[in-house]
Amino acid sequence: MRRLGWLFAAALIVASCGGGDAPSDEPEALTVFAAASLTEVFQELAPNVTFNFAGSDELATQIREGASADVYAAAGPRYPEELAAQGFLEAPQVFATNRLVVVVPADNPAGIESVDDLAADGVRVVIGAEGVPVGDYTRSVLETTGAEDVLDNVVSNEEDVKGVAGKVVSGDADAGFVYITDATAAGDDLRAIELPAQPLIEYPIGIVTASENYHAAEGFVELVLGEEGRQALRAAGFGLP
Amino acid sequence: MRRAFELGLAVATGLALAFLLLPMLALFLRISPAELLDALTSEVALDALWVSLKTGLIAHAFVLLVGTPAAYFLATKRFRGRGVLVTLVELPLVLPPAVAGIALLALFGRRGLLGETLDAFGIQIPLTQAAVVLAVVFVAAPFYIRQAIASFEGVDPALIDASRTLGASPARTFRRVALPLASSGLGAGSALAWARGTGEFGATIMFAGSLQGVTQTMPLAIYAQLDLDPDVAIAIGALLVLVSLTVLLAVKLLPSWTRFTSASLIRSAPSGSS
Repeated sequence: MRRLGWLFAAALIVASCGGGDAPSDEPEALTVFAAASLTEVFQELAPNVTFNFAGSDELATQIREGASADVYAAAGPRYPEELAAQGFLEAPQVFATNRLVVVVPADNPAGIESVDDLAADGVRVVIGAEGVPVGDYTRSVLETTGAEDVLDNVVSNEEDVKGVAGKVVSGDADAGFVYITDATAAGDDLRAIELPAQPLIEYPIGIVTASENYHAAEGFVELVLGEEGRQALRAAGFGLP
Repeated sequence: MRRAFELGLAVATGLALAFLLLPMLALFLRISPAELLDALTSEVALDALWVSLKTGLIAHAFVLLVGTPAAYFLATKRFRGRGVLVTLVELPLVLPPAVAGIALLALFGRRGLLGETLDAFGIQIPLTQAAVVLAVVFVAAPFYIRQAIASFEGVDPALIDASRTLGASPARTFRRVALPLASSGLGAGSALAWARGTGEFGATIMFAGSLQGVTQTMPLAIYAQLDLDPDVAIAIGALLVLVSLTVLLAVKLLPSWTRFTSASLIRSAPSGSS
């Protein structure tokens, strides 16, 4: 009996200790929240860092809700600026640019050659959801080029750019709007078609104000902005500011 | 010593209850009832409700219409490999939803096992409303079939035999004896399958995609709205908590309710033949 009582007491102590993260200066503990389109290049650049790749909007929500992130890198200025204005993020700096393209599966089942073909009957198009940077860029390009009827052929609004690329790679969608870097990363599985107009796509990076690994966070931002980062970004198909 | 033990039990119960219930309470406390109602009547929420209801009803009809006879067969027939079949039917029950999604794509996807043939006939299932129905059937059916097998197995074989000796055909025996006697279990299984189907997320987002008014069910709408309009996400979440609570109450109350009515059915079933 006594032993059981102690067991409960021990369980209580364990339970009350959970949740409190011990601060650590080790760079391995660094957590970077980054736009899904940065997946390949960031993983190659810093293999030891813990990454959370998702739609920039989702990541911003998580940071606002108190997720323990040290660095935030987004696929557009909107969310970093919002977070900075609300005091969650330190002054974000642009470290890369990107281009939006149309991608089709390698066998191009719907015979897409230009943006105009996307509005044809029965073409199945996948784009990013509203509020997800790639989705907002897609909508603005379709609007400025007068090709809004393409939106009628959208069969799914994905929560991040990798979701768009994945459904085109599998062939279940006939076409999708992604960044040129995602097309590059997919290799032979995707064929990219250039757009007649380009939105300005900038990637800002900033240190999360509540970061407990400030030093390591600074180091990561310097790595991305520095020569090594620029080379990796260029190799992945990004533009440089 | 005894008191320490009792105290430990009470503390553990308190911890478990707090951990399980506080998140749901927090959901309801996050917005006011007025905001909740407002968010629930937004176009996104109503569309999601409609998509969930429509695909859920179609899927549920399939589950009941095919699952009931299949469960009766598996419960009453004795043959080699029956145990293996029952286990295989239950497999999706423990399968991670993402695996369900990629498996459905592997079968129905444009480059899938069946998908290529379907594609040749101009039929595409992924990223359509039909895909939502299939995903729901796939994940929810085992919940019903498993429960239905157990319910049919629980029917006293003597009553089946009596019905047969009195001249009722197997089909009539199934309809007038087995079905009413198993009904409470079938109802509970049906409610559980409905709950699992309503909550389906992983397989749907992979196999059916997310398009408002077409494939965006309530769980998908929560995910999509979380950063666009958190109020809507919270409101849909709160609604789903209430729906789930209703289902749970139904599962708890159905057996005691039908025990009463099916008792009268036993008496009337054999003499009810004209």
